[in-house]
Amino acid sequence: MFNLIGSAINGVKHALGGLYQVKRGLETVAMHTWREPTTEAYPDKAPELPPHFRGRLALTVNPETGENLCISCRQCERVCPDKCIEITANKSTETNKLELIDFKIDHGLCMFCGLCTEVCPTYCIINTNDFEMADYTRSSLIYDLKKLTLTQEESAYYFAAKEMPLPKPKPAKPAAPAAGAAAAKPAAEAKPTATVSPKPAPESAKAPETTADKPAKEVEKKESPSTDTPSVN
Amino acid sequence: MEQFELLTNWAQVNVEAFVLYALAIIAIPCAFCVLFDRAIIRSGFFLIGVFGAVCGLFLILQAQFLALAQLMIYTVGITLVVVIALMLTNPRLEKEGVAVEGRERFSGLVIATVFFLTIYCALRSESWPLSSLRMNPENVKQIGAALITTYALPFEFASVLLLAALMGAILLAKAEPKNDVSKIAGEN
Amino acid sequence: MKIDGTVVRGDHFSGNIAEIRKFAVMSLSWLTVIFVAVWGVCWALGIFIPMCLANSSFDFAAILSEVCKALTPIAAVLVFIPINAMFMVLMERRALALFTRRNGPNRVGPDGALQTAADAVKLLLKEDITPTGADALMFTLAPIIFFAPSIFGALPLLAAVTNNHKLFQIVDLPTGIFYVLAASSVPVVGIVMGGWASNNKYSLMGGLRSAAQAISYEIPLVLSLVTICLLAGTLDVVSIAYQQSGGLLNWNILGGGALIGLNKAIAALVSSSGAPFAEVMNAYYPYGWLSFVGAAVLCMCTVILFGVYLIGACAEINRIPFDLPEAESELVSGYNTEYSGIKFAIFFLAEFTNLFIVSTIAVVMFLGSGDCPLPTWLNPLSYPAVYEPLAKALSPVLSVLINDLHLINPPTFWAALWVIFKTYSLIFFAILVRGTLPRFRIDQLMDFGWKRLIPITLVIFVLVAFARGVINFHV
Ligand code: SF4
Ligand code: SF4
Repeated sequence: MFNLIGSAINGVKHALGGLYQVKRGLETVAMHTWREPTTEAYPDKAPELPPHFRGRLALTVNPETGENLCISCRQCERVCPDKCIEITANKSTETNKLELIDFKIDHGLCMFCGLCTEVCPTYCIINTNDFEMADYTRSSLIYDLKKLTLTQEESAYYFAAKEMPLPKPKPAKPAAPAAGAAAAKPAAEAKPTATVSPKPAPESAKAPETTADKPAKEVEKKESPSTDTPSVN
Repeated sequence: MEQFELLTNWAQVNVEAFVLYALAIIAIPCAFCVLFDRAIIRSGFFLIGVFGAVCGLFLILQAQFLALAQLMIYTVGITLVVVIALMLTNPRLEKEGVAVEGRERFSGLVIATVFFLTIYCALRSESWPLSSLRMNPENVKQIGAALITTYALPFEFASVLLLAALMGAILLAKAEPKNDVSKIAGEN
Repeated sequence: MKIDGTVVRGDHFSGNIAEIRKFAVMSLSWLTVIFVAVWGVCWALGIFIPMCLANSSFDFAAILSEVCKALTPIAAVLVFIPINAMFMVLMERRALALFTRRNGPNRVGPDGALQTAADAVKLLLKEDITPTGADALMFTLAPIIFFAPSIFGALPLLAAVTNNHKLFQIVDLPTGIFYVLAASSVPVVGIVMGGWASNNKYSLMGGLRSAAQAISYEIPLVLSLVTICLLAGTLDVVSIAYQQSGGLLNWNILGGGALIGLNKAIAALVSSSGAPFAEVMNAYYPYGWLSFVGAAVLCMCTVILFGVYLIGACAEINRIPFDLPEAESELVSGYNTEYSGIKFAIFFLAEFTNLFIVSTIAVVMFLGSGDCPLPTWLNPLSYPAVYEPLAKALSPVLSVLINDLHLINPPTFWAALWVIFKTYSLIFFAILVRGTLPRFRIDQLMDFGWKRLIPITLVIFVLVAFARGVINFHV
């Protein structure tokens, strides 16, 4: 008899304990209502990416003069594990220098490892913050020189954001400095410090506010036609 | 119910008879399917259909409580358990088709005939008291009162019988001692 | 929030107000749409057409208007179910998003308000596949058997939640709650049938689990409601609803009417016009302290019964934490794995409708149906001094609507509003539970049902039967 009463009391205790735990759980979950969502409102709001985000590849130009920075050294082509870079260059007979004719990157093959950007001696090839490259065919994923080349403003933004030393303007007497630079820093670690730009970066490149939101705007512009992006639940 | 009568008067047909035939159209083919369907589980489902139609019959006889009890206990509860038992016991039963011996067939026929005759005679006998009274709204209360006054004894007997059946079922379902299980497994 | 007992500042209560506001606006607008639509159909069918027919003179006008009136409850349910299911799915998704710190569907329509409408269209347009080896007849019948009872089962509740509006009196059956229970026991047949007919092992397992679960949990569910009927002395939902009118203390969740005496006594004390406090108390609690103990026991019992009912109902309609029949991690999607297109839509519809019906039963049987929770003596609107000027001020507008067009029926209107509020609060609670509790294991489920809930309800049944004797109910 006492046994029965004891076990009944125990059972009640057990049940109350369980109920208390359930109540705690419900409370915790209910309290979550007051906290802001942690999800990104992605298609409505472009995410804020760090400058070293490894997105679409692009070729920079000199932010000041607008000339192409690639010296056709083919280092990127060689280092790429996926062999997705294809450079067409021609040795000009007059200057005895390589002239870039076409530069193709197959973004369908690229795995965004960033190795090509590490080896590039002139900081020409870079990873941009753009990641919306969805397309309808495989062939349209192969970007050519025109599609890869950034504008002057974009280049300025990335040079500032990634803290890359600004390129020296190409001297009239060519060859020597560029080749020297290429030889001077074969390794990636040397990159930030190897060639200290003699000129401080111009104010326009450093001013972040005006240029900083450019890519974001670009993202938005790109977004609008593709309404079939899956809805974010 | 008033709407029912209005409709009856207007349409010049007996709506109750109409509903009766409709239910019969459901119940009788379902009953035949229960007998003749090879897939035994499907027969079980047809049995649910039969009971459902019978529940409808109770409804047009204005025995609401009985109809609902029929629905809840027979249509859903018991038949479902039977169907599940069938699913769990012998899934290949439907494929094999049990061969029936001649003698078994004969005895089955005799039993069926006797059973049929009994029910037929019972149904055709004239002693069914029919009442034209409208259902009492206190119907349920009256059933309850009758169950524990006039019919208290049968009610108790029924519950004792159920209890016995329950205990029997538990006894049957209780796990055999381990060595017995191995013996049975060995035999098969 | 709390990781090691500390509250990170700015995180807690930091204001998710925008999302909450969106949720509220979405819910309110959907509810308005639903109930305006439903009442519009009822009014057109049950009042407007007969009103027009009354003036016309062709010979079967009378019978036609009778038929229209008789069809009104069915029409109301048929209009209500699909729209309501759409809203409930949306509400569930948005509320779960709130609980899990997400945004929820927000693309289709303003703030995603039309998401489920679009989903419904998509489901209806999808291809309807019957798998090879399936039993086509049973496969088609299963969703129908699953869905049909929720149409018919809801009918008696209509009379209870509309304060016995004359349009819905026809569905006020003397066997009310028994009818609802019988109807709600049928869907499990549909589940087993669909599971078996799909010719798929996951479906079959889902169906079997569902049957086992429904049969086990129906017992405590029915026992808890039967105990309430024992207290009420009737099976008729409308009288049960009426018995509970007059404020929180009269509701079945607080003693099933054991506190009515207290309520009346306090009312007498406050108004100081009726019988004195002690006299009323004596009339209701004739045995002194024994009666008070009885009342206390009854209160405790009914609160537990309410809990048991909620648990049993949750299991009966296969909601988390009892959603073993469709446990994704083991059974893909359970009994509806093989269903697609419109048949799947019907399963989905019925599931949410069942949730709604179960909540409505809880409101009618435990939470006072369409009754304002404020006791009458506390409710300012129940005093003529407050009520009459208000009525007078509004009368020019309302009298046309109420008396000429019968578009608004005040008792029904207020009752319906309260029922809507209470029912959707319960549904919201169900969603909260879904967001919180993990799924049971099958053996835990069976243990809990057979070894805990059923004994508890049986003990309570006996307790209530005795405690009932020491108090006068519904004098
Ligand atoms: S990121 Fe990697 S894979 Fe892509 S082009 Fe550069 S080296 Fe090749
Ligand atoms: S490594 Fe840089 S400079 Fe060399 S080819 Fe590639 S992009 Fe041009």
